[in-house]
Amino acid sequence: MKESKVWMVLALFITCLLSAFALAQVYAITRAQIEYQRNVAGLKAAFNAVLPEADRFEPATPDSMVWFAYQGKTRIGSIVKTAHQGYGGPVPVTAGIDPQGRVIAIRIASAAEGLKETPGLGLKATEPAFREQFVGRTAAELKLKKDGGAIEAITGATITSRAVTDGLRAALEKYRNLLVIESGGENEQQ
Amino acid sequence: MNSSKKTSRLSYLTSGIIRENPTLILMIGLCPTLATTVTARDGLGMALAASFVLIGSNIVISAIRKLVPDSVRIPIFIVIISTLVTIIDYLMQAYQPDLYRVLGVFVPLIVVNCIILGRAEAFASHHGILDSFLDGLGKAIGFTLVLFVMGTLRELVGAGTFFGKPVLPPAYRAAPMLFAIFPPGAFFLIGLLKALVNKLGWGKS
Repeated sequence: MKESKVWMVLALFITCLLSAFALAQVYAITRAQIEYQRNVAGLKAAFNAVLPEADRFEPATPDSMVWFAYQGKTRIGSIVKTAHQGYGGPVPVTAGIDPQGRVIAIRIASAAEGLKETPGLGLKATEPAFREQFVGRTAAELKLKKDGGAIEAITGATITSRAVTDGLRAALEKYRNLLVIESGGENEQQ
Repeated sequence: MNSSKKTSRLSYLTSGIIRENPTLILMIGLCPTLATTVTARDGLGMALAASFVLIGSNIVISAIRKLVPDSVRIPIFIVIISTLVTIIDYLMQAYQPDLYRVLGVFVPLIVVNCIILGRAEAFASHHGILDSFLDGLGKAIGFTLVLFVMGTLRELVGAGTFFGKPVLPPAYRAAPMLFAIFPPGAFFLIGLLKALVNKLGWGKS
C-alpha cells in the first residue's frame, strides 16, 4: 500500500494540505504583530529625524497619520504624516509638530524610499535648503509665496513644492484639535 | 544490550557536536556559516533558527517515515522543511524584527540548508522519533557552536565588541581590523578553524 501510485499522490497532497493549514494558523497569529513591526521600524527612524527628543510614539488616529510623541510621560509634540500627490506620485512627508502647532522639522522620504519626483528638480525637496523653510511655521504660513504664504518654491518644481506645503497644511488643519495642546495653566479650573 | 543501546543513543546526541560536526567536519551548511556570522548575535540568531527547523523536521519526518512513499519522499521532506522555515520566518518578523532585518534572505534560505535535508534523508527517515530528536539536537548544537564562535571572533576582531557591547579598548575600536567582518574574513576564519580541528584530530574515528 505504501508504494501504490494512489498513495504516492495522496501522501503528497495530504502533506501540502497540512502544511498550508499550519501556515495559515501561524500567519493568523503573527500577522498583526508583523504589520506593527513593519510600520514602527520604518517610522521610528523618520520620527526621530523630526523629533529627536522623543523616546516613544503612539498612534493618535486609527489610520496612523498622526502620532503623539512622548519624552518619559510628558507629551512633547506630535508627528503628522501626509502623502499629497506630487508630480510623479505621492510625496510622503513626516513632520514633527510642537504642542503649539508649529512645525519643528520635516522629513521627506528619499528616492530610495519610493519618492518619484524628478531628479534635479522635485527631488530637491529632500534637501535642507527647502526643508528648513518649514521650521517654526504654523498652518497659516504653510503656502508657497506665490500662493500668499512663506515658503519659497523650488525652481522648476512647483508641483512638488506645493505637494509638500499644501499636504502638510491640510493635515495640520484637519488634525488641529489633536495637535495643539491648550496650555491649561492659568485657565485651569477644578 | 540495554546499556549499549543507551550509549548509542547518547552518541547520536554527542556525535554532532564534535565527531560529525556539520560545518567543521562534514563541511555542509557553509553558506549561512560564512554569511551570517558578522556578529555574535547574528550568528547565534541564525543558528537557533536553523536549529529549530532541524530538530522539528527530524521529529516530523521520523514520525511519518513509515507512511512516506519512497518515490515522493524528497518533495514531502522539502514541504515539511519549508513549512517549518516559514513558521520561524513569521515568528522572527513578528518578535525579532531587528535580527530579521540583518539575516534577511538567509532565513528563507534555511530551506536549502544541506544539514537539514541531509539529516532527514540520512537519519530521520530510518530512525525512531527519540533518536531523530537526539540526532537533530546534537547536530544543532554543533552548528550553533560553530556559528557562535565565528560570530564572536569576527565581531571581536572586526569591531571590538561582543553582542554590541564594547569589549576591547577604545583605541582598538576606533580602528579595528575590519577585514574580519568582511566576507574574506569569514573564509579566512573558517579555514583557521578547520585547520585547528584537523590538528586536534577531531572527526577521525
